[in-house]
Amino acid sequence: MELLANLGTGFSVALTLPNLLYCFSGVLLGTLIGVLPGIGPVPTIAMLLPITYALPPVSALIMLAGIYYGAQYGGSTTAILVNLPGEASSVVTCLDGYQMARQGRAGTALAVAAIGSFIAGTFATLLVAAFAPPLAEVALKFGPAEYFSLMVLGLIAAVVLASGSLVKAIGMIVLGLLLGIIGTDVNSGLQRYSFGIPELSDGIGFVVVAMGLFGFAEIIINLENTEKREVFTNKVSGIWIKWKDLKEALPAMLRGTGIGSVLGILPGGGALLGAFASYTVEKKIAKDPSRFGKGAIQGVAGPEAANNAGAQTSFIPLLTLGIPPNAVMALMVGAMTIHSIQPGPQVMTNNPQLFWGLIVSMWIGNVMLVVLNLPLIGIWVKLLQVPYRLLYPAILLFCCIGVYSLQNNVFDVLMTAGFGLLGWIFVKLECEPAPLLLGFILGPMMEENLRRALLLSRGDFTVFATRPISAVMLGIAIIMLIVIVAPSIRKKREEAFHE
Amino acid sequence: MKPATVLAAVLLAASFAMPTAAQMPAWPTKPLRLVVPFPPAGATDILGRTLAQKLSEALGQPVVVENKPGAGGAIGSDMVAKAAPDGYTLLIATTSTHSIGPSLNPKLAYNAEKDFVPVVWVANSTNILVAAPNLPVTNTAELVAYAKANPGKINYGSSGNGTIVHLTAELFGSMAGIRMTHVPYKGTALVMPDLMSGQVSILFDNIVSAMPSVKGGKVKALGISGAKRSPLVPDLPTIAESGVPGFVSDTYFGVFVPAGTPPDIVLRLNRDINRILESTEFRDKLAVLGAEPVGGTPEKFAAEIRTETAKWSKVIKDAGVKLE
Amino acid sequence: MAFVRSPKDFWAGVLFIVFGLLAILIAREYPLGTAARMGPGYFPRGLGILMIALGSILTLRALRISGTKIHFGSPKPLLIVLGSVIMFALAAPKLGLVVATVLLILASSTADKEYRWKESVIASVILAMFTIAAFSWGLKLQLPIWPAFLG
Repeated sequence: MELLANLGTGFSVALTLPNLLYCFSGVLLGTLIGVLPGIGPVPTIAMLLPITYALPPVSALIMLAGIYYGAQYGGSTTAILVNLPGEASSVVTCLDGYQMARQGRAGTALAVAAIGSFIAGTFATLLVAAFAPPLAEVALKFGPAEYFSLMVLGLIAAVVLASGSLVKAIGMIVLGLLLGIIGTDVNSGLQRYSFGIPELSDGIGFVVVAMGLFGFAEIIINLENTEKREVFTNKVSGIWIKWKDLKEALPAMLRGTGIGSVLGILPGGGALLGAFASYTVEKKIAKDPSRFGKGAIQGVAGPEAANNAGAQTSFIPLLTLGIPPNAVMALMVGAMTIHSIQPGPQVMTNNPQLFWGLIVSMWIGNVMLVVLNLPLIGIWVKLLQVPYRLLYPAILLFCCIGVYSLQNNVFDVLMTAGFGLLGWIFVKLECEPAPLLLGFILGPMMEENLRRALLLSRGDFTVFATRPISAVMLGIAIIMLIVIVAPSIRKKREEAFHE
Repeated sequence: MKPATVLAAVLLAASFAMPTAAQMPAWPTKPLRLVVPFPPAGATDILGRTLAQKLSEALGQPVVVENKPGAGGAIGSDMVAKAAPDGYTLLIATTSTHSIGPSLNPKLAYNAEKDFVPVVWVANSTNILVAAPNLPVTNTAELVAYAKANPGKINYGSSGNGTIVHLTAELFGSMAGIRMTHVPYKGTALVMPDLMSGQVSILFDNIVSAMPSVKGGKVKALGISGAKRSPLVPDLPTIAESGVPGFVSDTYFGVFVPAGTPPDIVLRLNRDINRILESTEFRDKLAVLGAEPVGGTPEKFAAEIRTETAKWSKVIKDAGVKLE
Repeated sequence: MAFVRSPKDFWAGVLFIVFGLLAILIAREYPLGTAARMGPGYFPRGLGILMIALGSILTLRALRISGTKIHFGSPKPLLIVLGSVIMFALAAPKLGLVVATVLLILASSTADKEYRWKESVIASVILAMFTIAAFSWGLKLQLPIWPAFLG
């Protein structure tokens, strides 16, 4: 059994004391970084790169990888506790996780996130270990046409994210699409909606938008409604998870794991789609979808499992094809380059200790995350009981520093303030920000891939239907559209009938 | 003694102790910063950090790297253009910021020629031409022949409109007499999957990034874009040797300081960096990045910048590449 | 406005229409291209039109179907929170992290009804120390610690 032999090699590398320490420090640092709003794995790894240059390559990678998925988990902590998504995928956790915290169930939400992430991480690591090369081949089947169809599917699913008015949700998605267009157009080099400001030529950062719309707006609204706030800081029911809750959450975790693992393989943003997709699936198959957005435990369990699974499987394109699927991986490629290691198809054969050592340490890192974070839940929950008047200025401070650290530019902080204002307006008008964020992420990718697909097919539109994977996804998208819109139309007809 | 006499004596003594105007404090007396106008872990950043570390040792003061990414290097470059010319702010930049940027973007905030003083040409890096595995060609000449026989079939990926990857391909096309369709992406790494699956025909990529895929058999290497063969793949001919005579495309990496920096500081930096370029340790690091050390006088660097600027501005005009 | 039955939907619709108009207006110079070879202006214009359409539906609906009123509290939290963030952003590069942090904490704390100035001062000092330790020293954040004129 070659797999066992390989895993054995991996364990022998990963279980050395120095590497265990590097793994632990990476995971710990990553969690803390993820908890601090704004500062995500990208600026952290960037700031720590000089240190990793001095370490032996395997250790450096183990630590960087630890930071990466440690930060994924830490981002969920802030999403649940203070409605601040540190990472793209944590946005979804905000929706129900924060609501659970407001109902005094922060401990349960955090525990569900930790356990779900662990289950997902274990499964995904096995997937990477056993099926990396064939999965990479699947990823290669995805060209621009397939990505476009996937994004269309994702956007239609985004409508499901909203609990309120359909028209408003679609409007928010479209607005998100427009905001995402700001910046340089890949296909023509033209600067769109950037008003000649160089800082806007690369577009607005996701963290900036999310921090403003979710974080700042939430703080301002909380400060306005002083009476309602007392409720959740005082009522915290237990820091552990009840068996009943776990049973409810488990199926969602397993589904999320599957969804996240598959979507994480796709280079070019597959991982964060996982969390959104999982939320959509959970809401659609739930017996009572109206619970979502008000503290449904599946709304935390599924997406959390999905985004951790995606984080692990996103190593596949990196390790097998040498293609970094996101900014964090690109940094790791840089770290590998410095140590004269070229990630790519031969890493598995030329450098088996590196490959398998890294994979095994990914699993060990997941174990450490659970061991580290479950007890921490108690501390976090205690933190929630700090009087809000002392808590929120600190949150503001960390947000400002976090946003600044992304590109070392104060312009980003100013923009976050602008989005804070916009977020406040949205709350007043009862427009939900989550669909906007999804549109913001998917929009530019969708347009880019649409135009690229047409460029490659020389203007032939049928390419979307003739390429099998693309055709299947568009088919599902159309079906979803009908399923979503039909009940709404029926409701409108009834309303009109009654008037 | 009378107080006035004491005061006069003290003042007299003090005036001898104070340094005269001609005698400046020796530079450097505080940490320097090296601005890298690109995100961390990219080639320029790694090069910059290695250089900064060695330069700190040579100068006796820390050289701190500051990443100021955005707008293809323009934001960081602009910051240095407007920084105080006191010798404490350095910039490490490339062909993109100082030879291509100005021709491409008439509204560029800085003037590449007037706002900077070139210090030294640190390194040169070159690209590799790779092709999809299902393309029935094995070298550059065959590619050109295939393209001429099948007009409109060849397309090329790039890391964006106006990048050196794009312009290199345009130059190639015009010198080889073939027309190709440009398919821009957000980075050469993102072109790879489509190149491997054959949807994109060719790509000019950084040698170090492309080598794993070449060695793994996922893409075919056709030629080197530089003037000389690369030590990383000594068997691979240059494009000039194998199909398009006279074709050269390289990227320079160099250090700049803001215009107005005292010439003796510029010379001192030039001397120290040249010395660093001779150390085997630094040369090894450069080799890992697929770059070769160059060195030389500031004038040599300035001449290269001028040549490259003229060359790429012609390519941009001929190909009609516009950002707006 | 007596004829507006649902103010939230009405103003949301207006907001959408305004964004849609802005989108089309700013993008009017961008080349359109064709459906098969889309220029950079194609997508934005389409989205702008869609936004105007959606906004119109919302505003028209708001005239018929009633909804809850918009609740406006005191403008103090909005102005103070955003103001202190902007102040931090402008102050940090020139005055250093320590000063900017202290200013941010002191200023933003005043937005809360239960503001107590002594707590604010202590919090600002502690947080400034933590910031320097964790971010400047620990993570090598690229911001000056002390004001520029102190070198």
